[in-house]
Amino acid sequence: MARFIVRRLVQAVLVILAATFLIFLATFALGDPFASSGEKAVPPDIAQANREKFGLDKPLPLQYLIYVGNMVRGDFGIDYDQHRPVSQLLEAAVPNTVRLAIVAIIIDILIGVIAGVIAAVKRYSFWDVLVTVIATLAIGIPVFVIGVVLVANVSGWGPFPSVPRSFTVQVPWYQEVLLPAFTLAIIDAAFIARLMRGSMLEVLRADYIRTARAKGLSERTVIGKHAMRNSMIPVVTYVGVSLGVLFGGAIITETIFQYNGVGYLLSRAIVNSNAPIIIAVVVFSVVAYVLISMLVDILYAFLDPRIRLS
Amino acid sequence: MTTPTSAGGSPADADATSSGLVLPGADAAAGGTTVPLAARGSGQLADIRRRFVRNRLAMVGLAIVTVLIVLAIIGPYVTPYDAFEQNLANTLQPPSADHWFGTDVLGRDLFSGIVYGCRLAILVGLLTVAFSLLIGLTLGAVAGFKGGAWDGIIARFIDVFLAFPPLVGAIVIVRAVGGGVTPVIVALVALGWMTTARLTRGQVLALREAEYVEAARSIGADNRRIVMRHVLPNAIAPVLVYAFTNIGVVIVAMASLSYLGIGVPPDVPEWGRLISQATPFLRVEGKAHLWLAPALAIAITTLGFAFVADGMRDSLDPKLRGGN
Repeated sequence: MARFIVRRLVQAVLVILAATFLIFLATFALGDPFASSGEKAVPPDIAQANREKFGLDKPLPLQYLIYVGNMVRGDFGIDYDQHRPVSQLLEAAVPNTVRLAIVAIIIDILIGVIAGVIAAVKRYSFWDVLVTVIATLAIGIPVFVIGVVLVANVSGWGPFPSVPRSFTVQVPWYQEVLLPAFTLAIIDAAFIARLMRGSMLEVLRADYIRTARAKGLSERTVIGKHAMRNSMIPVVTYVGVSLGVLFGGAIITETIFQYNGVGYLLSRAIVNSNAPIIIAVVVFSVVAYVLISMLVDILYAFLDPRIRLS
Repeated sequence: MTTPTSAGGSPADADATSSGLVLPGADAAAGGTTVPLAARGSGQLADIRRRFVRNRLAMVGLAIVTVLIVLAIIGPYVTPYDAFEQNLANTLQPPSADHWFGTDVLGRDLFSGIVYGCRLAILVGLLTVAFSLLIGLTLGAVAGFKGGAWDGIIARFIDVFLAFPPLVGAIVIVRAVGGGVTPVIVALVALGWMTTARLTRGQVLALREAEYVEAARSIGADNRRIVMRHVLPNAIAPVLVYAFTNIGVVIVAMASLSYLGIGVPPDVPEWGRLISQATPFLRVEGKAHLWLAPALAIAITTLGFAFVADGMRDSLDPKLRGGN
């Protein structure tokens, strides 16, 4: 087990390094943000001073090493526009994104698992067809269509704050998080329901379920204890991957609802070509995604000894 | 797969790979003779077609996809207006006999815009999936058939590319390559080939030891011939199903990028872009056509492709119907 964890850890670090280097290269290829362009005329000495200030006068490999060195110490530099420390912007945005991710995951596990179990247990019934049809529709409709429809029709009604709203309006986080979390949850819940239904149907055919029934256990115990626990593994994997993506920021959903998480931070930075923020958020997303996938793998290996040995 | 569920492989494909679907057709070809696909599978193919036709949802999907493709081809010749032509004296008009879907913020005819967007979506969807398929099939077949160091190196590449949260990765690549439609395709291909490679690798690995492959080898067929004539044709069905599922995903990805203002130039009536231009009017009375038309277009398109892909999967292997 220890060897497995070490191997997985080394792999995660290598992947993160490779990915950050790619991002760095890609962002560098964006061109010189301080050169004159269009109507913006920048005197050469000021452009030079700016380049020095942001370290853009050094060769690229050195820039990358300096960036990684600073990053490890939690310093992401300052942004081009207002010269704020990027780490502070991240610090403000990350808790919102984490809250959104957790609420969304709770909603989609609840809906997905319950719907999947009902569909499997009552196979071919009305409920099964209903779950299958709704799941197919939810998976087929892109998240920003759902988001846009909710903003247009539901926001500003009942407990849901309106979008957009003046920044003077204070809304408690649990109200603010509701609609975006629900938007994110719809599609994941549909996937989980499908996965749960599939693996549950397989498990229900297993010998130990027949044994459990044969020894006279109630249907409730058979389904709740024996069948459900054994059909959760694909769901656990899916939730892990999905949590990784969500922790890295749900760019589209956060942008639609103007929710102040890392995703919205990124989409605003893209509009302004604010490279330090773009790099920082992308690095954060990749690290969150890789680390969570790694944790899920380790958890998985812990649950299922067959994986450790392969 | 060197790592059990390594970063990012969606559970569904991991499943399909590990169970090593043995497809209809594998048996028929087991004699080691290579019979053309049509002749070999005439019974099989007819079965598959019959199952597909009987699937009502799949037929609805097929109808939608057909209409979209026809629209993509003939679109610009039948739309009433030039999709790019702005008319600032006639902006934000509600749907009417002149403008079926109304006009947008720039006074462009929304119906013509949606049709143009359809052309773009189908083009990008098909090209992206075709290139991903080419890369994924090649690398997957090499990894599965050669094994050893090849397999290791390809697996590392797959891991690095899977480490990017998809949308974030696409944003980075498009920004690096530049604006326009081609960079979008490049980015979506770069992030879209991995699952195909994994699926192919799993299939090839399972088929490598099949008796008909051994038979082909014993009569002196070289690797190239074995892979192209014996292994790939039998491995390809689930890969094609995945590719078809992916067309919808690609179309949504492009729309997501344009929604964020990346890739397709701002004046192009791309569906995601139209939605983003409609956001200031989301809560304005009587302007619903602005977002409703592109939103419905995207939803109908992705659903159409999803229905066909589901139908393909079910009819290729009826045993899977109960599964995910």
